[in-house]
Amino acid sequence: MDEALRAVADPTRRAILRLVRDHEVAAGEIASRFPTMSRPAVSQHLRVLNEAGLVDVRADGNRRLYRLRPDGMRDAASFVEELWSDRLARLKTAAEQEEWPARTRAARRARRATDQEEP
Amino acid sequence: MTDADTEVVEQTLRIEAAPETVWRYWTDPERLTEWWGAGSMVLPRPGGAFVVEMREGPVMRGEFVELVPYERLVFTFGWEPVDGVSLLEPGSTRVEVTLTPDGADTILTLRHSGLPTGETTEMHRSGWAQFLPRLADAARA
Repeated sequence: MDEALRAVADPTRRAILRLVRDHEVAAGEIASRFPTMSRPAVSQHLRVLNEAGLVDVRADGNRRLYRLRPDGMRDAASFVEELWSDRLARLKTAAEQEEWPARTRAARRARRATDQEEP
Repeated sequence: MTDADTEVVEQTLRIEAAPETVWRYWTDPERLTEWWGAGSMVLPRPGGAFVVEMREGPVMRGEFVELVPYERLVFTFGWEPVDGVSLLEPGSTRVEVTLTPDGADTILTLRHSGLPTGETTEMHRSGWAQFLPRLADAARA
């Protein structure tokens, strides 16, 4: 989920997604649409999109053809479902860490009180 | 959009901390940033802004609807538009967080409603699929 978010957060990558939305486009042609950018920089953007599962890539001779992956576009519900599982787990860790020292002290005090009551 | 056209995501988890502590992780910007985003603006009163900037770039823009301290928190949830296009329009979905004490722990329930389903219109078919054609239209305009 984080990967897809990162992938679409960049304007160049969104422009690439628009290019490959309806048909396959060769890496060279994609690069030619961004004349102010180096080839390695464009290749890096394509790699990010591919790793995020947003585009498919296929070799045709010495060309690499890119196309938008339709099932890479998850629906809004599964997207927020992943977002919440990930973030709520972090919230749990943070809140528990904050209370942990106090809880440990309280547990120790309770143990000591019990020990003293015993004859 | 009617209820029949939308989906709900619900999650429940136990947190070994008191509701007062968990509450602060939603309403104190510093604590909120520990688990959700890189930065946030939080005005915890009805109608107050609730904005979280994610590390990955996108910004969640919401507004508080209801706050019952240590018990219940309701806010709207949307993604701030980028190039005039939003994945989820701010104000279009709603998140309800309920904190229930259980001994010294808290049971947190989160309910995110108003999410567009796969069965509605072509435009709402999916978050990303909805996003791209509209982005293309915006670029053509």
